[in-house]
Amino acid sequence: MLRGDSGRRLVAELQGALDACAERQRQLERSLRVSRRLLQAWEPAGTSALEPPPGSGTKEEDPSPACTPSPQDFKELELLTQALEKAVQVRKGVSKTGKKTRMSSLQSGTVAASPGTTASALPQASSQAGHCSSRTRPTKGIHQTVVPAKDHPEHRLLSVRDRPHAVHIRARGTRLEPSHGEQMTPSASPHAAETFTLKEKGTLLQLPLAFRKAASRNSCLWTQLNSTQTSDATDATSAAKTRFLQKMQMASSTSSSRFSAVEVEMEVQCLQKACALLRLRMEEELSAAPVDWMQEYRCLLTLEGLQAMVEQCLHKLQELRAAQTEQLPGPCLIGRPLRASLPCGSRVCTSWGPQLLLYSSTQELQTLATLRLRVAMLEQQVHLEKVLMAELLPMVSTQEPRGPAWLALCRAAHSLLCEGGERFLTILQEDPAD
Amino acid sequence: MEGAAAAWTGAEARTLPEAIAILSRSLPDGPSPEIFRRAKFNRPEAAPALWRLLFRVLSPLREDCAAALLGPGDQAHWVKVVLHSYGYPRPALAQLPEDGSQGSRELLLAFSWLMARGPLLEWVLSQTCMRLGDQVPTCECEALASPGLAALQVDAGGSVDLRFLQWLMGKLRFRWRSLICSQQEQCALLSKIHTYTRGCHRDQNLGHLSVTETKMLRDPEGSQKLLQALEQENARLEAALEWRRYELVFWKWMDTVLGACPPECHAVPTFLPRIPERGNGELELLARELQALQEELREQVLSRRQAWETQVGGLGCGPEWHAARQALEQAVEQELLALRRSWEQDRGPSLFEGPHRLAKIKAGTAGSQGLPVAEVIRALRSQEAILEVMLCWLQGQCRQELARLAGAVPQLIWILPPGC
Repeated sequence: MLRGDSGRRLVAELQGALDACAERQRQLERSLRVSRRLLQAWEPAGTSALEPPPGSGTKEEDPSPACTPSPQDFKELELLTQALEKAVQVRKGVSKTGKKTRMSSLQSGTVAASPGTTASALPQASSQAGHCSSRTRPTKGIHQTVVPAKDHPEHRLLSVRDRPHAVHIRARGTRLEPSHGEQMTPSASPHAAETFTLKEKGTLLQLPLAFRKAASRNSCLWTQLNSTQTSDATDATSAAKTRFLQKMQMASSTSSSRFSAVEVEMEVQCLQKACALLRLRMEEELSAAPVDWMQEYRCLLTLEGLQAMVEQCLHKLQELRAAQTEQLPGPCLIGRPLRASLPCGSRVCTSWGPQLLLYSSTQELQTLATLRLRVAMLEQQVHLEKVLMAELLPMVSTQEPRGPAWLALCRAAHSLLCEGGERFLTILQEDPAD
Repeated sequence: MEGAAAAWTGAEARTLPEAIAILSRSLPDGPSPEIFRRAKFNRPEAAPALWRLLFRVLSPLREDCAAALLGPGDQAHWVKVVLHSYGYPRPALAQLPEDGSQGSRELLLAFSWLMARGPLLEWVLSQTCMRLGDQVPTCECEALASPGLAALQVDAGGSVDLRFLQWLMGKLRFRWRSLICSQQEQCALLSKIHTYTRGCHRDQNLGHLSVTETKMLRDPEGSQKLLQALEQENARLEAALEWRRYELVFWKWMDTVLGACPPECHAVPTFLPRIPERGNGELELLARELQALQEELREQVLSRRQAWETQVGGLGCGPEWHAARQALEQAVEQELLALRRSWEQDRGPSLFEGPHRLAKIKAGTAGSQGLPVAEVIRALRSQEAILEVMLCWLQGQCRQELARLAGAVPQLIWILPPGC
């Protein structure tokens, strides 16, 4: 039904839009996978086969709720890890002999970051918690309790500590004293899995030292870069740059127009925005019902002001048209106009480097992200609308004869152009009287 | 060092190599200082590196995407196009062969031209900086899909059925919907991760870890690479800070480079013809829209002004009336000025084009340094409103046009769909 060229162009545009969407979706899926994985229990790196299927990880709870370790277990785990840290510190410190016996019974608790070590023995209920529990043994089978070889407890703990990237457990030694003794009873009781979940233990994480240093140096440098910018280049440098630009301009024999293509583009976008805002404002004014003469007068003044602004915009448009026609022929891109990405002299970026965006609730973040996507979608829709208009309207107007095929074309064109393809109208044709 | 110094001209021969070296250090994958020197003498071997540099600097994508898409010849062509659209004044650039075999001096001039116009180094550093934090998704893939960068690959088939287009539109709508859904989920997960890691970050402003940082703790194997990249960026930032002291020397040298160019030959270069409909189409549409607006306003103003004159004519011109009128006029003027500012102000790149980092704070606490998301939401809502107005107007135009065309055919009844 459509001629070759215009049909191809439309298909290409729509296909491009679809591909862009698909690419976004892919990127999003990647991020989702990463985030879900982080929110699940952190297995040691070697046991990749134990990763639960991707579909199950959306909830913050463990994938199989029936096997959720009880809160009691988590408390015990936390106390255990605290005890371990304390023990490690103590071991590093003065008395080594006395603690060694404790160490050997402590050997089981390592955090998941150290590969090769898996879940460990869990001591019995601590008195701090106040009640004795019957631990549920996780039956999902994922957390196999493999007691690490008792021969090398110190090595394992040392390896956890010495690796620069390992998760460091922040010492909270002071709280531990009362329960320390209780926990040290080596228990041969059934083991529950020790797993690390972000929900429970997230606050214990610490970034490695080298990274912290580099990151703080990084933010310091960005701050410097921003601060010295306001004092900017010395006058001599600015003068040198201006001179250079002038010489470049003179060295070319051709005189360029006032606006470069990118500047025309920017101004056109600006005017489009202006037009939309003016129209919005006009509709606001027209729909408001003035109550007294003051409001009426104000309305009148506003409309007159808007009228003047529209005239100015039209004038600007004329200038842009002139600039465009007098532009040099040159290599140009087929397709969508290029977004101006480089900063020009007139636009000044106030701050370089990562800028902080502060949000306070999930709702807010979701609103932000949805709005962002909606704006992108609307931009795409506006562009597609223009393309469709350019191709379909001429076709509808030029196709002869105006028979049933033309009516079908009209109907399809109407739905695509006026309803975004969402709704269809009905066309009735009355039969001639005879 | 003597031999190299002798190759440079100018009084500050001692610091020029340093300046070039610092420039080279501050650019991501920057060409070596030797390349710059050779470019002054238009040595052909320096050209490919400079083409790459220009492509890197000009393309809106991050480096891995961009390089994968286009081969060197296409990159060169793209660079030419972009520079031309920015208004590069010298026609010699467009005449350079795209195989990278010559033209290094012109490329050096082009690069310096970009540097002179604006804060290029800072911009490049900003675009290529490490994203340690979490971001709202950007539209990098838009640039990816734009035909400017990707070759337009369309099957040279026969005619296209309109129903195929309708189907594609529906598919597009569906994809957007599922995209928004996935995005909501990602935000929820991000929020959780931020909450759970609160208190972990040494930097008080941030307060919690990002996904990248948490992932680094989870999988320590990648942390070495991250650390390296971070340190490389630090080195570039230090070079950029130092560059500000050496810049003047560089510009003096560039004057000599420009002087070393042969005078222009004024032959008319052969270019690709412009494609006029594209640009003019936009302007035409805008002109029609503005004219329609003008017409509507003119009618309204005329009728209201007449009504006002007849109504108020009897009120007289007392002093209170005069003062009230002046106050009103001033108020309206202020409002309209604000309106004008709202479209003139946001010309710059939007927030999302630059790097940013999300940070979750407790509600009610004022962030010491950071942009509250509420402001961004406000800006986005106004953008949304503007786009909706534009779309509505376009659809209205189509409706009118189609109605006009159908009106020419007698005995047609159009029943519009419900909800219209």
